[in-house]
Amino acid sequence: MLSEEPEKNTNEKWGIAHIYSSYNNTIVHLTDLTGAETVSISSGGMHVNADRYESSPYAAMKASTAVVEVAKTKGFTAFHIRVRAVGGVGSRVPGPGAQAAIRAIARGGFKIGRIDDVTPIPHDTTRKKGGKRGRRV
Amino acid sequence: MSFEKSLRIPTDRVGVLIGKSGNIKSEIEKKCSVKIHVDSETGDIRINEKGKVEDIKPFKAVEIITAIGRGFSPKNAILLLNDENVLHVIDLRDFAGKSTSKLERIKGRIIGEGGKARQHMEELSGARISVYGRSVGIIGEANQLKLAINAITDLCCGRVHGAVYSKLEAARRREKRDKLQLWEGQNIFD
Repeated sequence: MLSEEPEKNTNEKWGIAHIYSSYNNTIVHLTDLTGAETVSISSGGMHVNADRYESSPYAAMKASTAVVEVAKTKGFTAFHIRVRAVGGVGSRVPGPGAQAAIRAIARGGFKIGRIDDVTPIPHDTTRKKGGKRGRRV
Repeated sequence: MSFEKSLRIPTDRVGVLIGKSGNIKSEIEKKCSVKIHVDSETGDIRINEKGKVEDIKPFKAVEIITAIGRGFSPKNAILLLNDENVLHVIDLRDFAGKSTSKLERIKGRIIGEGGKARQHMEELSGARISVYGRSVGIIGEANQLKLAINAITDLCCGRVHGAVYSKLEAARRREKRDKLQLWEGQNIFD
């Protein structure tokens, strides 16, 4: 969906913000438009101490503000956003951090281009982990 | 800024999504700053962004609509607007396969006699549970969600109700204890 060219404006520098949000963590990864060159990366777990808060909206916000600072020093002015949930056999809705991360990037003063959901959805599925008899504790 | 997403909900849930003279739909539109187009013949739904970038909650809107499509009442689905709450959908075909009689049996075990089992699990875990069609929907905070998912998968795999309840109770006791110990043995000046 991102294939079309962004607006032709010479003094704008576009990038892509990849937000991966699961129940256990949120990873915010800023790249240039090719997606191959990292501008900055941060995750929820880098900003909180307890495991159970890694995926919280607060941690996601801290992670995004951290990457936003770096992106500003490198001269980026606008971002496309690609949100990804776990997908595959896992959950297909983004976790609690996604919303907070988007908002923090928008509040950082960047122009927001497209917002896409890039969760990998299988057309058929591989088997869920745990085996036939389910998870045994 | 542009956002577009289409999804489909069962046709008998379309009426719930729209609400009386459109009040549920317009409330979601207002709270999430989105525009929702509904095709009531097929149940196709298209979501577009509308309004300022700072306010939009496009993925929350998608979650709320999926939750309503998965049998939640609008009152419970709107709980998702709280940032902490997430939706999880368990597909019962993973456990029952293609057999309808197995599916009915598993659904019966999750709901319990007069809804007793479902209610008890909701109270113990704090999450909201909805059994509809071939799926179970759960709304709750990350911790509650994990408890409820484990409880329901255990039930689907054939564990007895008592064992599932006692596991939930133990988890609740542990959480209570953790809450009391929050400040002990920790360097709070980190």
